[in-house]
Amino acid sequence: MLYRVRIAVFIAIALTLSGCARQATEVNGRKVIRVWHVWGGTMQDGFKRICDAFRASHPDIELQSVFASNDLATNQKFFTAVAAGRPPEVIFVDGPQVAPWAEWGALQPLTDLCDQAGIKADDYFAPCWRQNYYQGNVWALTFCADPNFGFVWSKKAFREAGLDPEKPPTTIDELDRDADALTKREGNELVQIGLIPWSQYGAANSIFTWGWAFGGDFFDYEHNRVTPDDERVVKALEWMTSYAKKYDVTKIAGLERGFGAAEQNPFITGKVAMMCLHIGGIADLARYAPNLDYGVTYIPSPPGGEQHSSWVGGWCMALPKGAANRKEAWEFVRWLCASPEGTAAVGRESGLFPGLKASPYFATIQGKKHYSKFLSILQECRHQRPVMPVQARYMRELARAVDAAVYGKATPREALAKAREATQRELDIVVKGRQQEGGAQ
Amino acid sequence: MATRVSKTARRQLRLGLLFCAPVILGLLIFMAYPITASLYYSCTRYSVMKPPVWVGLSNYQQLRHDELFWKSLANTAYYAVIAVPLGVAVALGLAMLLNLKVRGQALYRTFFFVPSIVPLVASSVLWIWLFNPQNGAMNALLRPILAHLGLGEPPGWFADPAWAKPAIILWSLWGVGGSMVIFLAALQDVPKELQEAAEVDGARAWHRIRHITIPFISPQILFVLIMGLIGAFQFFTPAYVMTQGTGGPVDSTLFYSLYLFNVAFADFKMGYACALAWILFLLILLATAFIFKSSARHVYYAGDGKG
Repeated sequence: MLYRVRIAVFIAIALTLSGCARQATEVNGRKVIRVWHVWGGTMQDGFKRICDAFRASHPDIELQSVFASNDLATNQKFFTAVAAGRPPEVIFVDGPQVAPWAEWGALQPLTDLCDQAGIKADDYFAPCWRQNYYQGNVWALTFCADPNFGFVWSKKAFREAGLDPEKPPTTIDELDRDADALTKREGNELVQIGLIPWSQYGAANSIFTWGWAFGGDFFDYEHNRVTPDDERVVKALEWMTSYAKKYDVTKIAGLERGFGAAEQNPFITGKVAMMCLHIGGIADLARYAPNLDYGVTYIPSPPGGEQHSSWVGGWCMALPKGAANRKEAWEFVRWLCASPEGTAAVGRESGLFPGLKASPYFATIQGKKHYSKFLSILQECRHQRPVMPVQARYMRELARAVDAAVYGKATPREALAKAREATQRELDIVVKGRQQEGGAQ
Repeated sequence: MATRVSKTARRQLRLGLLFCAPVILGLLIFMAYPITASLYYSCTRYSVMKPPVWVGLSNYQQLRHDELFWKSLANTAYYAVIAVPLGVAVALGLAMLLNLKVRGQALYRTFFFVPSIVPLVASSVLWIWLFNPQNGAMNALLRPILAHLGLGEPPGWFADPAWAKPAIILWSLWGVGGSMVIFLAALQDVPKELQEAAEVDGARAWHRIRHITIPFISPQILFVLIMGLIGAFQFFTPAYVMTQGTGGPVDSTLFYSLYLFNVAFADFKMGYACALAWILFLLILLATAFIFKSSARHVYYAGDGKG
């Protein structure tokens, strides 16, 4: 009896231990690199082909890719893996996450590797590099540079509203006039709207977009202060709020509740006539509505604002802290983000833009409809979201400020001032903590 | 003789402990340790990947100035105060109706219970559609009625900060099946003789409910109330799903647990999140203790001689 119990306990322990066993870092003498990537859905096959191209040119490296969608739940797993000392060898990180993840100790600096490989700031579109540079170190390289945004207008809707379909708005006044003509009601309900200013990929990204277009800025790097209530950002939010008053925010939100993805994209279904679109959206429109008649142009801006305003987003690649096989992992990052062949493969297979200015991919899209416009937007791009350790909080506070202003619960100035106070308090805590610990590691 | 018995007893004790070990170890490792550790972490600044830094009570002091802490607490209290009693009332009402001897009784009971086994996320997604202000079933139903009564338009539900919480409360009523089953079981224990005697004496239905049924099932009401309250304080999933984690519009659905989740897993301020969790624990403890104390006189336990 006792003997059987002992056997059972032994088996249980053995099973537990084998479950905890570390995965091999080498297979048949080839170094293993595991990459946690974010390319599911329609991008999955493209990323697989990119990986295959890498495998073909690097037969001595065993590349294993795992889908990990960079949502809050998946990121917990990643941070746990880092804390446990056995993270994946390569991780995809969203541009604005680079600084916080570096601050939290999830990433390792790549500065020495960049120096050895001869990779310089100047090789990249300026905002891309700035996004990955924090506290004197490079923490990631840009996998794709999303020029945010292209301003798209539905030529069909323009025609129906009696507007010139070849003349998109270039100033805010023109935008307001066109938006008015493009808004349709049935009874009390909106059935089509010209533009929803706060609905450009979330309220935070919207205020970034219009804030910069109005000539404002969100961060004072010299004094390490957030500046969401910059005079021109306030102006931008006041303008955004005017749409909430004009078209009734609850009615707009009601219309938005019927928006969907893919074929149900409101621009495809005709519920929204003008909107901001990122580069990946072009491929979606081509896939789900190949005959859609639309144009892409620069974001309109007011007099005294910033002409051709845009900012860069997009995914970056980094090496987690404590990751094995640093040399091979770096080779994967370098090849995809900094080599001519790799960046060309990324562009070709994903339809996204590499961050490397000299990538041969750009020559292949010269004159390609919509894409060449996005390329000029990228080349003129001046901004990236603030590179700071409490980025997620800043985005949430900005979103809350926009929400409060458009729902009329606070004036734009009050709402943005509150966002400043709340975010600055968080930032100060991090800075104070860093000073106590003697600098970010 | 005595030693032999104790030897067997010891052996049995050892075996017993061995067989209980998975549960005991599980409780110690996965409950006792994390709970104690969270108390320690609540006094630190901790982002998981770097060692925690002791900051004393400063996390708790910060709470006082944290607007979102107060707002999420207010939202949660609003939900608890309205949704929990309402849920008890609806569950009790349903249970009484389903206790009537009618044809297809079992079928009705099943219908009303089924929603509570639908996964929370699935039911949240479903209700987003029901509450869609333009095309949802709810407003399709309400629009003609309100128009007929001249009361204007149906609400925007999740599109309107004033209606988002009521919408979530309505949603919560969909899941009263669990409590309903408890009440249904309790109703079987209400003595029929008493009911009949009261009926013979001329007591109306309401009086029979008020003076016979309710006192007899009061322990179950207390149980459902307390479990509901604990659930309400920890309310998370539907708010997270229905608002994509933003707690919008204008923080109207930012419940305490949702804020805690954001602090912990979006900002990785684990120390602060632990402090939030301990405050939540104390609040639930206080609220439960209050209900226990204040209900003592109204709850009837058959056979304990107090009645």
